[in-house]
Amino acid sequence: MIARLSRLLGALGVALGLSLAAPALAAPVNTGHIEADLVARDSWAVPGSTIYVAVTQKIDKGWHTYWRNSGDSGEATSIDWTLPAGWTAGDIVWATPHRQPTGPLMNYGYADKVVLPVPINVPVSAKPGETVTLKADVLFLVCADICIPENAKLELAVEVRDEAPEPNWRTGRLVADALTAAPKSAGLDAVFQASEAGLKLAVTGAPLKGGQFPEAYFFPFDGTLIDHAGKQTVEAGPDGVTLTIPAGVALKSGQIPEDVGGVLSIGDQAFEIVAKAGTMPAAAAGMGVPAAKAPSGGGGGSDGVALAILFAFVGGLILNLMPCVFPVLSMKAASLAGHAQDPREARTQGLAFLAGVLVTFLALAGALIAARAAGQAVGWGFQLQSPAVVGVLSLVMLLTALNLSSVFEVGTSVQGAGQGLASKNGLAGSFFTGVLAVVVAAPCTAPFMAPAIGVALTQPAIGSLAIFLFLGLGLAAPYVAISFSPALLRRFPRPGPWMDVLKKVLAFPMYGAAAWLVWVFSLQAGSPGLALLLACALVVAFAAWLFGLSQRQATPRLRWMAGGAAVLTAVAVIAVMIPLAKGGAAPSAGSVTSEVASAELASEPWSPERVAALRAEGRPVFVNFTAAWCVTCQVNDKVALSTQPVADAFKTANAVYMVADWTNRNAEIAQTLAEHGRAGVPLYLVYGAKGGEAVILPQLLTPGAVTEAIEAAALR
Amino acid sequence: MSLTRRLLVAAAPILSLAPSLALAAPAPAFSVKDADGKTRSLSEFKGKTVVLEWVNEGCPYVKKHYSGNMQALQKAATADGVVWLSVVSSAPGEQGYFADGAAAKKWAAANKAAPSAILLDPDGKMGMAYGAKTTPHMYVIDKTGQLVYQGGIDDKPTNKVEDIKGAKNYVTAALADVKAGRKPVVAVSRPYGCSVKYKA
Repeated sequence: MIARLSRLLGALGVALGLSLAAPALAAPVNTGHIEADLVARDSWAVPGSTIYVAVTQKIDKGWHTYWRNSGDSGEATSIDWTLPAGWTAGDIVWATPHRQPTGPLMNYGYADKVVLPVPINVPVSAKPGETVTLKADVLFLVCADICIPENAKLELAVEVRDEAPEPNWRTGRLVADALTAAPKSAGLDAVFQASEAGLKLAVTGAPLKGGQFPEAYFFPFDGTLIDHAGKQTVEAGPDGVTLTIPAGVALKSGQIPEDVGGVLSIGDQAFEIVAKAGTMPAAAAGMGVPAAKAPSGGGGGSDGVALAILFAFVGGLILNLMPCVFPVLSMKAASLAGHAQDPREARTQGLAFLAGVLVTFLALAGALIAARAAGQAVGWGFQLQSPAVVGVLSLVMLLTALNLSSVFEVGTSVQGAGQGLASKNGLAGSFFTGVLAVVVAAPCTAPFMAPAIGVALTQPAIGSLAIFLFLGLGLAAPYVAISFSPALLRRFPRPGPWMDVLKKVLAFPMYGAAAWLVWVFSLQAGSPGLALLLACALVVAFAAWLFGLSQRQATPRLRWMAGGAAVLTAVAVIAVMIPLAKGGAAPSAGSVTSEVASAELASEPWSPERVAALRAEGRPVFVNFTAAWCVTCQVNDKVALSTQPVADAFKTANAVYMVADWTNRNAEIAQTLAEHGRAGVPLYLVYGAKGGEAVILPQLLTPGAVTEAIEAAALR
Repeated sequence: MSLTRRLLVAAAPILSLAPSLALAAPAPAFSVKDADGKTRSLSEFKGKTVVLEWVNEGCPYVKKHYSGNMQALQKAATADGVVWLSVVSSAPGEQGYFADGAAAKKWAAANKAAPSAILLDPDGKMGMAYGAKTTPHMYVIDKTGQLVYQGGIDDKPTNKVEDIKGAKNYVTAALADVKAGRKPVVAVSRPYGCSVKYKA
């Protein structure tokens, strides 16, 4: 009885001691640029077993630490253990590294956050009931432009118990997930051939069967084997991949290793491999360089293209209903109204509009394809990531609005057109309307359109241009259809004063579009740029008024006024372009953010690592890929995401709302969009609480759809 | 220097980094101003063993070896008739950049560094031609102008001063081999340290 009581008291004491001591022992250490901690997978240690503990690193933005082969420079994280007698630590289980280019060099390591588990062998002699302290003296080399060695002395108290182990309620999941995610050998066969020119590496096996893996990359354990900064060329085969990698210093000097070990990353998965010298298996090559990752669902073959073309056409049609196209619709509506009573003229105008749409779609697509071929992480709508383009576009919108307000006239007036007078200027106007529709509408990827563009960007140039062509046909189709249908045209009322009123009313969506673009510009270029743009807008408006004045005077001696106005306009536009081209053309990613977060819903900035960490905690995550220049995104934010039911749903589900802001260029976001078969925003991803694939929400949100998705995510 | 080599050296910055050089091949020629403003080139050291040491005074790994190790190596080598050139390829604005020769000499004096010369390579041409990746990154060129060693300074790739003791110094070994008329046993090793701060 007394013995039992004392054991109980002892256990209580241990529990009390632990509860008091544990937080102090397990407190994270901030070493300057890293917050490090030593955490456990298991709640206690069983004699004669292996437990896993992990060193976690929260790394300051812009800084990184290193993998076991740090690449061209740097140094791997190292741990010096001080353990109780009989306890031994194994090697670090390294997470898959990321490439970190620094100038002409290439390093391998980790940014933001990494969990490095270590197996610890518990001796059979460990006594149940005792609490031991594991001490880790961890050395991190943490680098941004410069490198700083940082040191953390970490401790973790571990209780020994003689009962089946349970996961640690607080940190168990984190360590277990890191162990799951770490690259493992998955029965892959690897063969290499090495020469002074380089390394050829063929990997085959079940996980690689039938795949493409354009992002395949080999991280060697040895730091002298390959040229880390060199390009690794991938060739796909039916059963695997073959990589061709330029030689590093060892191979160059003829030191051919017996075997080649390392990690093969294929994008979202990574495997540990050990390659033996031998002949390259045929099953690992012969299918050429894999295309960039195809979207899930849409195949890469010709069926995929055919389907994508269909989607593109439907997407183009639907694009007409997207909020961003409304201002341009108003121009088209005004023009249609004017030509409705002259079928021939209406047809020509419709075709000119179609030509404007198609030429612009193809030009934009060509530029996008060229930029991507040059290795730039750009996506659909990329033109609006340049403040210079946005600034000029806002001035164009302003001019168009002023024109609709009859401040000045371009070519034939609406009244003139109504009398059936065709003119070249009128055609140019229709063509220009088409151009403007595409430039402004393109970033609002509509439903159907998004997967189509995703497929388009993975196709050879001809295939992608075909897809873009059909997108344009879809966008222009309603107008062309109306302008070719006398029956529909007859429904338009006869020309008259009502047209002038309509035109002036329709000027206001254009003013709205100009105001929106100015707002986007202010997020990209900041308030000094905004002041400049507003000044330019003033000059442009004044010039337009002068021009209109000279048109109305119609006296030859006043013609100089038109010339003067034109010069002023040019000066104003140049004044915007020069400072923007010099300084503000490419603000660094993250330096500005659009205020897309609503008042009700607290948001976090998106990062893949943060998503992984939150999922490890078992929380549902909603990621909003958005941009200030994406009107669909803004509408969704206001209509669906900023509503009280959605905020309540997030709270109930303990879900996290993350915003990935693509207003400015961001390669990481572009890549994630591509992984989901998208080339542009919006994209809404909902990750469930229990892991698994993310669910993609439609591009037009309703509060109900979001609430349902969040509720479902809490359960899956 | 042959036309091809001249072209290669000139093209090096464009071809990004010339990957690591083949061994037992002529070392790339260079023509770089030293801390005294004098132009130094490889050809003037013909008949002498030359050590190239890439340096960045702010790098923790350089600091580790300048705790006395590097200076001792420099003194021993130069006393033996070896030409020791410390090369600074840091670009303006980057860590380790010296605004002028005076700044470089001031640093050398404060640290009792004893190279034969400090070469200032702010545009990174010489560094790129050699494929210098880290500070320190060491190269040994024999009397005939052949590159016989390239890589790390020793076999303990850490930034801890206490690791110098007990490390195998590859440069000392290579110099001993060259002096004895042998090819160095370890001719290539993995350089370690901070990245060379080339201009972006």
